Amino acid sequence: TLNTDYPWILNHDHSKQREIADWLTLEIKDFVAYISPSQEEIRVRNSTISKIRNAVKDLWPDADLHVFGSFATDLYLPGSDIDCVINSSSGDKENRNCLYSLASFLKRRKLATQVEVISKARVPIIKFVEPISQIHIDISFERVNGLEAARVIRGWLKETPGLRELVLIVKQFLAARRLNMVHTGGLGGFSIICLVYAFLQLHPRVISSDIDSMENLGILLIDFFELYGKNFGYDHVAISVTDSGARYLSKELYGSLQNPRTSFALAIQDPGDKDNNISRGSFNIRDIKKAFAGAFDLLTNRCFELDAATFKDRVGKSILGNVIKYRGKQR
Amino acid sequence: QCPHKWKRVKCVHCNSKNHSRDRCPSIWRSYYLLDSNVRRVLPVHKIFCYNCGGKGHFGDDCWEYRSSRVPNEDGSAFSGENLPQELK
Repeated sequence: TLNTDYPWILNHDHSKQREIADWLTLEIKDFVAYISPSQEEIRVRNSTISKIRNAVKDLWPDADLHVFGSFATDLYLPGSDIDCVINSSSGDKENRNCLYSLASFLKRRKLATQVEVISKARVPIIKFVEPISQIHIDISFERVNGLEAARVIRGWLKETPGLRELVLIVKQFLAARRLNMVHTGGLGGFSIICLVYAFLQLHPRVISSDIDSMENLGILLIDFFELYGKNFGYDHVAISVTDSGARYLSKELYGSLQNPRTSFALAIQDPGDKDNNISRGSFNIRDIKKAFAGAFDLLTNRCFELDAATFKDRVGKSILGNVIKYRGKQR
Repeated sequence: QCPHKWKRVKCVHCNSKNHSRDRCPSIWRSYYLLDSNVRRVLPVHKIFCYNCGGKGHFGDDCWEYRSSRVPNEDGSAFSGENLPQELK
């Protein structure tokens, strides 16, 4: 019988691994390969974006469209939307008239359906669905911080083995539990990346160059859930990430990062503004911490169970499947 | 009175009294190590504490009152014990 809850294990059996942590490492690699975007998906996304970019340049010759967010760092899950920003040399595209004229222009060119113009928000945006690819697209205007963040993240990804793999797993884990949306207090994509990056930058075995992270993804995933699910001192510790690495700060010394309503809050210092907490919107940290702790318990219990099982009973079993359900197709 | 008799557990793997052998963290806490002939240096400037945010020690080894209310009986990855042998 085939198991549709964890399709990534089909034809990838690692049950004969001597070390259970190695089995988990191999399964993580299979899962990441399974949910990574296919060449076809990348091609469709790129051509969709260039169609929209060309249209924007036709309407406003002094403007250009750039992508940021998970699309720009290759850390997107299936069906995630594309974040774009339009910057212009005159810098005047963020006013309401411009938003509406772009919206109707894209509709006329049949590049946008289900268009919503959100002009009164702190960050005014246009949301729409590109009809051919059915991709959801958000366009914001005249800002560079998203592009700057994407550049920093690409630098981290290049020099931090294992970061991409662990981020994709944690993202999928949180998405399955609806704990990944900032407007409901969940963890946003950038906060997830910062948590994993700081974890890797501060791990005893990593800083002492004792391990290759790519060969230890299994135990590192368990260590990640253990740190942020069981041990991290959310009341007293803030995380700081910069171009050159990560460190912890005592919240008492950085009062501006402290949430005025509660001490139990995640605090990640904005690299661009030392008084700004990137994760201040993630007010549901209690459930996030509980989910991480639960993942730790599920994973380690599964390890004990499979370690004690006979090789015959292990065949076709999944360790990760206890924690991550993913019924989607291979991409 | 508690109907379950107190049962003493002891792990024959690691001598801990917190768990039995079949639930010993060493079952999953195993790292695939790089070549041990390379000399390791301890980057003290990269050691930070998850408990107090301080520098120079790991969270498991912090002297401050524990911030998290979840117990940590068997020790975690963020401990001086989890450094390569020669750096402990």
